Amino acid sequence: MNILVCIKQVPGTNKVEVDPVTGVLKRNGVESKMNPYDLYAIETALRIREKTGGTITVITMGPPQSAAVLREAFAMGVDHGALISDRKFGGADVLATSYTISQGVKLLGNFDLILCGKQTTDGDTAQVGPEISEYLNIPSVSNVSRIVEVQDDGLVIAMDMTTDIEVVKIQFPCLLSVDKDIFMPRLPSYIKKQATKDREIKVITLNDLEDKDEKHYGLNGSPTQVERIFPPDANTHQEIWNGSSMELTDQLYKKLRELKFV
Amino acid sequence: MSYKRLGQEDLNYLKSIINDSERILYGDDINEDYSHDELGDTVSYPDVVVKVTSTEEVSKIMKYAYENNIPVTPRGSGTGLVGSSVAIEHGIMLDTTLMNHILELDESNLTVTVEPGVLLMELSAYVEERDLFYPPDPGEKSATIGGNISTNAGGMRAVKYGVTRDYVRGLEVVLPDGRVVEFGGKVVKNSTGYAMKDLMIGSEGTLGIITKAILKLLPLPKKAISLLIPFPSLEKAIGTVPLIIKSKSIPTAIEFMQREVIIDAEKYLGKKFPDNSADAYLLLKFDGNSTEEIENAYDSVARICLEQGAIDILISDTTEREESIWKARGAFLEAIKGSTTYMDEVDVVVPRSSVNEMVEYIHNLYKEVNIRIKSFGHAGDGNLHAYILKDDLSEEEWERRMKAAMDKIYAKARDLNGQVSGEHGIGYAKKPYLMEAIDPTVVGIMSGIKRAFDPKSILNPHKIWQ
Amino acid sequence: MAKLVVNQDKVGNIDELISICPFGALEEKNGELQINGACKMCKLCVKKGPKGAIEYVEDEVVSIDKSLWKGIAVYVDHIDGVIHPVTYELIGKARELAAKINHPVYAIMMGSNISSQCHELLHYNVDKVFVYDHEKLERFKMEPYTAVFEDFVNTVKPTVILVGATPIGRQLAPRLATRLRTGLTADCTILDIKENTDLVQIRPAFGGNIMAQIITPNNRPQMATVRYKVMNAPERNPYETGEIIQCDIAPEKLDSRVDVLDIIPKEKEQFIEAADVLVVAGRGIKKPEDLGMLQELADLLGGQLACTRPMAEAGWMEAKRQVGLSGRTVRPKLIITCGVSGAVQFTAGMNNSEQIIAINKDESAPIFKTAHYGLIGDLYEIIPNLINQIKAGKGVI
Repeated sequence: MNILVCIKQVPGTNKVEVDPVTGVLKRNGVESKMNPYDLYAIETALRIREKTGGTITVITMGPPQSAAVLREAFAMGVDHGALISDRKFGGADVLATSYTISQGVKLLGNFDLILCGKQTTDGDTAQVGPEISEYLNIPSVSNVSRIVEVQDDGLVIAMDMTTDIEVVKIQFPCLLSVDKDIFMPRLPSYIKKQATKDREIKVITLNDLEDKDEKHYGLNGSPTQVERIFPPDANTHQEIWNGSSMELTDQLYKKLRELKFV
Repeated sequence: MSYKRLGQEDLNYLKSIINDSERILYGDDINEDYSHDELGDTVSYPDVVVKVTSTEEVSKIMKYAYENNIPVTPRGSGTGLVGSSVAIEHGIMLDTTLMNHILELDESNLTVTVEPGVLLMELSAYVEERDLFYPPDPGEKSATIGGNISTNAGGMRAVKYGVTRDYVRGLEVVLPDGRVVEFGGKVVKNSTGYAMKDLMIGSEGTLGIITKAILKLLPLPKKAISLLIPFPSLEKAIGTVPLIIKSKSIPTAIEFMQREVIIDAEKYLGKKFPDNSADAYLLLKFDGNSTEEIENAYDSVARICLEQGAIDILISDTTEREESIWKARGAFLEAIKGSTTYMDEVDVVVPRSSVNEMVEYIHNLYKEVNIRIKSFGHAGDGNLHAYILKDDLSEEEWERRMKAAMDKIYAKARDLNGQVSGEHGIGYAKKPYLMEAIDPTVVGIMSGIKRAFDPKSILNPHKIWQ
Repeated sequence: MAKLVVNQDKVGNIDELISICPFGALEEKNGELQINGACKMCKLCVKKGPKGAIEYVEDEVVSIDKSLWKGIAVYVDHIDGVIHPVTYELIGKARELAAKINHPVYAIMMGSNISSQCHELLHYNVDKVFVYDHEKLERFKMEPYTAVFEDFVNTVKPTVILVGATPIGRQLAPRLATRLRTGLTADCTILDIKENTDLVQIRPAFGGNIMAQIITPNNRPQMATVRYKVMNAPERNPYETGEIIQCDIAPEKLDSRVDVLDIIPKEKEQFIEAADVLVVAGRGIKKPEDLGMLQELADLLGGQLACTRPMAEAGWMEAKRQVGLSGRTVRPKLIITCGVSGAVQFTAGMNNSEQIIAINKDESAPIFKTAHYGLIGDLYEIIPNLINQIKAGKGVI
């Protein structure tokens, strides 16, 4: 089985602030880490490989420093890694990002299974997985909470639909976005880290891709534009209510309705 | 020693000092919590609980208690495990939890001055927000600083940073007769007479009431990485600990744990631990100012572990990973509690070079006394927590086997030149074991010290050696 | 086409310019300033660097004719014909947006045997409901649903498409957006529309620590997903308005490489950490039997029952339901504490909850320092009253 896992490097903490003057994220000194949701995708790949054999490749798109997350994946047991990096990819929104990654995937070869985490902790969109699957014209399923069975021609998986679980069969090649907690991700291994220190990482730039038209990438290939970013209102509001039990109940019921809990 | 039981006139006097009915509890208003501490096997109600808010109040109450021969028991959050804060002779309980103000942060001297009721977690959050660090890290974060000082609490970071004693610079203390004195101060060095503040630390509320503490701070390390190291057996894991200490690389923590405790914690938390494939684990934590610095620091340790037969070295370097490990580590006590009907604990400490021998002894003890014993703990500082579990034993059988196990563990600790308590204290529950272990001459000196501070013996009677 | 051009002669102090970039995308190579793959095109270097050092060069964009796209369309989210309430909330929002630009409101519903269910939508002032009824559309499957949706867009050409951020919507919307090569903004919390029909989309990012305002200036349709309970549902009209349009699609477009094998009702979440709503029992509960009414309230709110340390220690509830430092850390959308005094031990385990409502008789209880809404009153009166009101509101009584 040939498995690909899409991963991303994200800021080490979510506690980012907006610079009030420039309206740009303050990121100085913030450490980076692998998107925590991607760890579940890697773990899923490793568990499937334990059963079927084969190889696992991880791919990421980002600045040269994001090779660090590929190395981390090696230390968890992944076989190969590729980094898509070019300044011409800068400013990409979800659509341009998905397109760039799908181009990179095509370059790397044929995969039976592509795995993504549920979402990233910086963008929080959960869209890149399904978008890649459309560009590659393969079926995809999100909210995968369990791998029920690995078959020769596909996978039986459980998809979490909030009120019920749908057990579905999906044919290879396909893409899955896995839920948090599908498996507990293993920790990176010191032994594997030492052993893969010098493993080659394939770097992919615009020139390597099949479609070399700059208009399809980065800011130019992005239909959406961020007009501004700003800090959210903090919920520091506090009220104390006095009154008869009936009045308090009415007030509480009204509040619960207003907050849409009833 | 006979004391006066509290009467209406005493209550009236206390009310005149406090002048706030919500801060004086008596009779049925005294919550059941005040009759015991966290472990709960020593039970006795005070006659009155007074929630003090100032040194002045404490001083007035002590003066009155002293004049009237009323016993006084100080108490913080009541999270102790040996009965130190239980009012054996009833009388007045001084609850310090409302004295919970951080009075001063002195960044020029790197000290913070606090009232005794400040909680450990409040203190660490306060200083860490300002890039400073209060290293003592006992497991119970809702304990008060006053309680931590009174037991000389230790915690996980003791391997590198030492214990509470190493971070107390000065104390304001109300003596049993109500006089207020200061021991130590903001000074770094101090050769000025007897080390009075050090006498107070660990005295479990038997010498005076701590009303203010000046604590030493360090700059906050920017980054921490843990290593979870699976071993094929407990012997191999624990046998590596003395070698790590000898290697001169200093982790902040060296903990050991066994698979069965991990599985208890997984059940308790409903969450998988990152690895449960091995029989035994060491858990090491390193801190520093950058990932590179820490990686250099742990490299030699990693090699030692592999040479000693470690299956792998697993690296935890993000908040999520740290949480998945340390949250489980923090739940061990509750998880073990949840796996049995009742339990008792020992808190022995042995020289670090003997920690492997002690751990293996405890590990094999169940064969001799036929009772389930679980242990985990601070392997790196020689302080071991072993929990003896009652399960479905009858009351008599439990008493008999538990006592047998305790006696053997403490005897073994003595053989290894260890001590009865590493960080929980002696209080009421561990007194017999202290008496077996200690030289009568030393008890004599303790008794003399007690008389010098508290000639009428009204402060926290029946505790430690009394 | 837009790009950043470096004019080396105007760079001046190269290190100063490098330090401007928050993403580390500027670097020095052989004495020249270069831009690397970390660039996010935020243009801060253009604005803050020496004048002319870095230029933002933009070619003329061929703009699209926005007038060809008309109508606000809402995806009708349903399973087996049971319409998800987020659909009505989106219809409410769509009407509001449509009124500003004088466009119609459409709904698109796909499924099998749904001809009666789609009539319900006509009670909410939808102008046209487009219905694709086919047995191959019985359960949600990515490929046929995308094909149907694409067919609808190509036929109707709506300027805006709103989709509920449900398990279905969060898969279907990105697949469709990609097929249409257009923008999609996830989990919008605020939506507005400009006169030129540009949809103004505001959404949280970084786990809610920042908000971003996003537009799709040169692509149509514009797509957004919105979570349940963010927008307000309109009142239901007693009568129907608008029309239902039955649509056909070639059956071969409905093939799928995914098959639904089984549908299993989901077990209720076991762990309190996963619950959106928690009702917490504190020491103010007098006897174990009284937990029943709190459980009922939790059930009515779709939540779980939790407790404080004394309740767990007394054995009234399981230890795994205990909130606090020695128990679980929770962060639900709503937490209602009943008779909880609010010791630090407890509040440290729940003070990041989105909405904290506390009921306690004792006005000096420390929980009121943590609560957003503090009710000073008797839970033994308030809770049963509340349960009755909720039941009446749901039409149970």
